[in-house]
Amino acid sequence: MKPAHEDRIAEPPYLRAIPRPTQFPLVTAFGCTLLFAGIVTHPFVSIVGALCALVGIIGWFKEVFPHEETEEIPVVDCDVPLDAIVLAPKVVHATPKRRIVPEEIHPYRSGFYGAIAGAVAMAVVACLWGVLDEGSLWMPINLLAGMLVPSVGTASLDALKSFDLSWTIAAVCLHLCMSVMVGMIFVVALPMMPKRPMVAGGILAPILWTGVAWATLHVVNPALEQHISWAWFLGSQCAFGIACGSIITKFNRVRLQVGMSLATRLEVEQSESPRS
Amino acid sequence: MTHASESSTPATKTPESFWEIVGRWSMSVDHKKLGMMYVGAGLIFFLVGGLEAAFMRLQLAQANLKIIDPETFNQLFTMHGTTMVFLVGMPILLGFGNYLLPLMVGARDMAFPRLNAFGFWLFIFGGLLLYFSYIGSQGLYGAPSAPDVGWFAYAPLTDRTFSRGNSTDYWILGILVSGFGSMTTAINFIGTILCMRCPGMTLMRMPIMAWMMLVVAALVLVAIPVLTGAQIMLLLDRSFGAHFFDPETTGSAVLWQHLFWFFGHPEVYILILPAFGFVSEILPTFSRKVLFGYPLMVAATVSIGFISLGVWAHHMFVVGLGPVLNSFFGAMTFLISVPTGIKIFNWIATMWGGRLRFATPMLFATGFIAMFVIGGLTGIMLATVPLDWQLSDSYFVVGHFHYVLFGGTVFGIFGALFYWFPKATGKMLSERLGKWTFWLLFIGFTMTFMPMHVSGVLGMPRRIYTYEADRGWEIWNLITTLGVPVQMAGVAIFLWNVVKSLRSGENAGNNPWDAWTLEWSTTSPPPEWNFDRIPTVTSARPLWDSAHPEDPDAHYE
Repeated sequence: MKPAHEDRIAEPPYLRAIPRPTQFPLVTAFGCTLLFAGIVTHPFVSIVGALCALVGIIGWFKEVFPHEETEEIPVVDCDVPLDAIVLAPKVVHATPKRRIVPEEIHPYRSGFYGAIAGAVAMAVVACLWGVLDEGSLWMPINLLAGMLVPSVGTASLDALKSFDLSWTIAAVCLHLCMSVMVGMIFVVALPMMPKRPMVAGGILAPILWTGVAWATLHVVNPALEQHISWAWFLGSQCAFGIACGSIITKFNRVRLQVGMSLATRLEVEQSESPRS
Repeated sequence: MTHASESSTPATKTPESFWEIVGRWSMSVDHKKLGMMYVGAGLIFFLVGGLEAAFMRLQLAQANLKIIDPETFNQLFTMHGTTMVFLVGMPILLGFGNYLLPLMVGARDMAFPRLNAFGFWLFIFGGLLLYFSYIGSQGLYGAPSAPDVGWFAYAPLTDRTFSRGNSTDYWILGILVSGFGSMTTAINFIGTILCMRCPGMTLMRMPIMAWMMLVVAALVLVAIPVLTGAQIMLLLDRSFGAHFFDPETTGSAVLWQHLFWFFGHPEVYILILPAFGFVSEILPTFSRKVLFGYPLMVAATVSIGFISLGVWAHHMFVVGLGPVLNSFFGAMTFLISVPTGIKIFNWIATMWGGRLRFATPMLFATGFIAMFVIGGLTGIMLATVPLDWQLSDSYFVVGHFHYVLFGGTVFGIFGALFYWFPKATGKMLSERLGKWTFWLLFIGFTMTFMPMHVSGVLGMPRRIYTYEADRGWEIWNLITTLGVPVQMAGVAIFLWNVVKSLRSGENAGNNPWDAWTLEWSTTSPPPEWNFDRIPTVTSARPLWDSAHPEDPDAHYE
């Protein structure tokens, strides 16, 4: 077994490279089927299926990463001394003629840190609104939970101002997920903003987002719409944008890895790209 | 064409044991082996689905018969429809695509060989899971042992109130799993066609079948996920207390119909377009002419792909969607007949003035055109809303779609089997037995499905278990049932032909039909690497060019 990219000796018997036969697609498919079959049989079947699928996926991945494994077949009556057989088009890491925007982004981890900072800043502003305007720290938390928990929509005002563990967990999870998602968008979007990324990320984006929320909140979270203060909402969005953006911009930018192989991106192999 | 040399053979090995052969085939990622396994498995399911139909026809042969009970009858028509669509039509057609596409576009394999194997095994395990319902879904008193809700599984019949036990869940999961397999195959087709064509093969030089498969793959990727999503919603309804399709609460039974038919009508084109491809390859070869109007055929195929996504509600005219929607979907259905008609005229024009050779593949291709035209015309009739109101859910509809899917798809498949069998095995099928197969299938098919139109017009509803003797349906049902053994004889002769040819068939050579596409340039059967050297082509008929360097097609492009 040799990697497909290695040259072979051009002497008889000539060898032909084909993808190596493998059991892993079969194992993965069997595992996936058992995973579903457990719904109508027994959960144990699903567990076995998940394990099978996991074994299959790992084995499959190892066979194609960093290079596809091949099998070589000797042939007897060939009169064509072959060049190296390439199973798939070789990726040429030349400088692309087209400009890819953004050429540089902030590292993804900066988006995570920024998201955490933004999430805290936003929560502080929202809780301030709850305490100062509504007289309850739990009010904004419970209202946010209304996006996930339908019962919030029919809850009384007293209930909205009281602590509820399940609502709090739902709100915290939702808040963190959305913050991380927006943080990742900032990682890519901020480098594309002209000149003053902090203005765009900290003020312009929050205004736009607040406009979108104003137009759609009656569908997404009717409970929140009944009690919302749009000024405080905009303030909390700005707090997120400024905190998140200021953390992200502290990190140096890295070049976008478009065109590089997965092995190169994961630093399993050295980059062949002249741009790196 | 240059460098399309005939491939060499592998070094001889010691004979393998049975289990070594099983291991080699089950672990293979070679597109040709997978293609043959798709077709083989599809043919096995074809026999099973055919037997189910035969039992139904036995029950309906005469009025008031009680050969099988009503519950079993419900299971039979459900499993027959599901099997024929999901476990026969799609795998056989995708199997042909698997086998032929890399050879036709001059590639060594599919774009993702392992994903290809994964898709095949998902189809197999999905099919087995569906049929495991006969064993696995028992356990609740009075619950059916196999799905019995029809192949379209209309809500609210699928609700737990009306469908007890797990049989419907098996239907959902079996189709869900095999659907994922179809999607992976579609991804592979698109990747192979768009990225792995040999040098010189521009899109407009591709074999027409590659175009058909490209559109089919796109349709699969649009249609199947909708069905998968709907099935997950149904699973949530049945197993986790959701109410998507429960009209008693906030759900909608009509929503299921919309979702199902948004998949279901493109599915018809998923099943017929590859057959169009087979016929479009066979007709020029046996007419000794180029395919008439290649660019228009491509345009018609792409048009069909788009329009087929906008006709789904013609299956729902009797639901009560209102005159505007009914008119729109009726008009769209009329519209799709335009590109389909273009194809039919192009096929006839291809044959016109040609030196016709009526070998078995050509017989099936010609039979295909005749049957498909009838199925298409009755389809136009059913697109007329007032007529549909009269004929909906009658045997007329059953006759119509069997003319499309049996007279069209299955005849196309048989034509393809006779055409490419020599390439896949190196052996010729017997022409004499092939002609027996064609005529028995043609006569049996006509006996079975033509009278269904009459019994439908006379008011016989589909899916009924039995009927009274005073309706005037007896003679038509009897003729319908008598056609079944004739077709079974045709299939039996075909199977015997395959066995006989594999044992002692005449050697085929590389290009027994004197055809012009790249798969005929390599050995029969092709080596695992397909071509010693990747060919370079200069026209849509590379083998014509290499045989006639003084008058290559490239001069006319």
